[in-house]
Amino acid sequence: MSILLDKTNRVIVQGVTGQMGQFFVEDARKYGTNMVAGVSPGRAGTTVGDVPVFASVRAAVDATRADTAMVFVPPAAVLGAVLEALECGCKLVVATADEMPVSDAIEVRAAARANGAVFVGPNTPGLISPGKAKMGFMPSFCYTQGNVGVISRSGSLSYEGSKRITTAGIGQSTVIGIGGDPVKGTTAAEALELFHHDPDTHAVLYLGEIGGSEETFVADYASRKGAKPVAALIVGQTAPPGKKMGHAAALIGSRAEGHAAKQKMLRDAGVFVADGLRQVVAATQAALASRKQTATVA
Amino acid sequence: MMMLECDAKRLLASVGAAVPAGAVWRKGEPAASVKVAAYPVAVKAQVRSGGRGKQGGVVKVANATELAAAGKKLFATEFGGELPEVLLVEAWLAIEREAYLSVAVDGRAEGYVVLYSPVGGIDIEEGVPPARYPVGASWNFRVHELRAVLEKVEPDYQWREKVIALAQRLVRTAAARDCTTIEINPLVKLADGAMVAADAKIARDEWAHFRSEEIAAERDAEKARADEYLRACLDMQHMYVKLDGDIGIISGGAGMTMAAMDMVAEQGGRPACFLDCSPGPTSTRGYRPAFAMLDADPTVKVIFVSVFGGGTQMQRVANSMKEVMAERKSKKPVVYRLDGTNIDQVPGIFAQFGAHNHASLEEAAAAAVKLAGAPA
Repeated sequence: MSILLDKTNRVIVQGVTGQMGQFFVEDARKYGTNMVAGVSPGRAGTTVGDVPVFASVRAAVDATRADTAMVFVPPAAVLGAVLEALECGCKLVVATADEMPVSDAIEVRAAARANGAVFVGPNTPGLISPGKAKMGFMPSFCYTQGNVGVISRSGSLSYEGSKRITTAGIGQSTVIGIGGDPVKGTTAAEALELFHHDPDTHAVLYLGEIGGSEETFVADYASRKGAKPVAALIVGQTAPPGKKMGHAAALIGSRAEGHAAKQKMLRDAGVFVADGLRQVVAATQAALASRKQTATVA
Repeated sequence: MMMLECDAKRLLASVGAAVPAGAVWRKGEPAASVKVAAYPVAVKAQVRSGGRGKQGGVVKVANATELAAAGKKLFATEFGGELPEVLLVEAWLAIEREAYLSVAVDGRAEGYVVLYSPVGGIDIEEGVPPARYPVGASWNFRVHELRAVLEKVEPDYQWREKVIALAQRLVRTAAARDCTTIEINPLVKLADGAMVAADAKIARDEWAHFRSEEIAAERDAEKARADEYLRACLDMQHMYVKLDGDIGIISGGAGMTMAAMDMVAEQGGRPACFLDCSPGPTSTRGYRPAFAMLDADPTVKVIFVSVFGGGTQMQRVANSMKEVMAERKSKKPVVYRLDGTNIDQVPGIFAQFGAHNHASLEEAAAAAVKLAGAPA
């Protein structure tokens, strides 16, 4: 299995006629994503690839029974587009845009919750369930189907981390980019909960950064009784305090948000912590091996 | 982006929060032009970095002669590397007690959080952790919920009710005006019981620039303060943080840029910067100013290009490198590590200008460290 996304999701693309939208339709279909419609106001009746374009999400959902939305619109338009998808019944909405104002992200998160839906983003490459479907623009060759769930705050780091474990023969159930912003549609805690209940996920690899408090969720989960084993990498060892490292949340504002404090917190919680990218494979293997031992004992 | 204290206080005053009576003194204006109703006054250097008080950036002044002297000194002193352009001259307050109040964006709260400590005026991290009220979305603020939190730490009910009323206004302001932090430290009680924001830090959300004249102006001012090279990078939406090493890193994506920095350090080198070029156009137009800035920086000995792209297609990046290298005058060595979408097209493009693409981040970082040589 996988979390949130597989071949059964019926996907629409908002902003389908833009450059990213067109690239995504071609790339994701090739991968197996079940693309049913595009939305672009003023372009109803046209097609992208051979995907029909509608003027509104309502029209697209009514015509195609879509239940999942991929949003490729400019940052100032994300709030409106995501609310439209949620209120038309989409149960999974992914918005990759960076530069989304945080007060808009807060509103979107509240709306997703009120509609019983999941929002992934902003500032994320999206998510991929290898061998099944992808929603986002991650390079497909970095992934292979398997039993490790990957959670990442950073897009490109998730490609790098996934490629390393794929090359080492470790496949993934789902790789989810939760994004680099402080308020997320899906938090590390929520992603961990989803992986916890996915029988095909045997261990989790968490790719984090300095700044913010997301890693406390990971430590909380790992120290829970019956938790699946977790491996982790925290980048930003060389980042100075008080400076925003690209991501809005990647700012060491207090000692607890620094690299050493996060590594220690995760280690104390029983997480297999990689000291650097070169140890990611070993840490993931250790996490998988510890599950086997636990399973044997049980 | 951090606002100056005087601008933060103007915003607070505009939403009904009391701030001390004060006047703004701009660099170049004579001391005599500063309107002072009564001495003593506090003269406060207006800079964005913290720790100003400890560095002597706040001076108590008893008369016009002292005011002129304090102004001369403060305008000539750097605080956290920043020379003040503006001083804030405020009535000296007869303070009875100091407390701490802030409203900030918080991931765990799924929105805003209110923090309060009955003891203020100090570094909030040094003392007892403040009381915490997770609000979430601004419309979820409830007076009775904050009251229940504050009852445990603040026995003075009259003061407490004033804090609650102010916090409610601040949460609404944060949401409506795109503030990611509003911190009042100290929030002071005067002898007559009045509540005044003696100091204020407000951070605005730069991504709200399209709907806020103030934020757009602050972004422009930030660019104007940068030198020509950095300004060209900021115009491309690149994100740059200067570090103290000699290996300049051009990368894409915040996590990958930090991973490249860490890998350089792991291989025994020192990164010269965090330079994330992914938000801007990852084309020749985007990379050109990045190379220009690092080529002009005398501390940078080697440039390390580390890009792992998904939506950013590698044949485009490789072609941009070819174009930039053809027009570039600097002889600083460049080390490449590209990977991601369409990586199979890269070797052919690189062969056209004699570049080599390293197969892994560690291999490329090691090569960059070797080229940088022993630390000077």
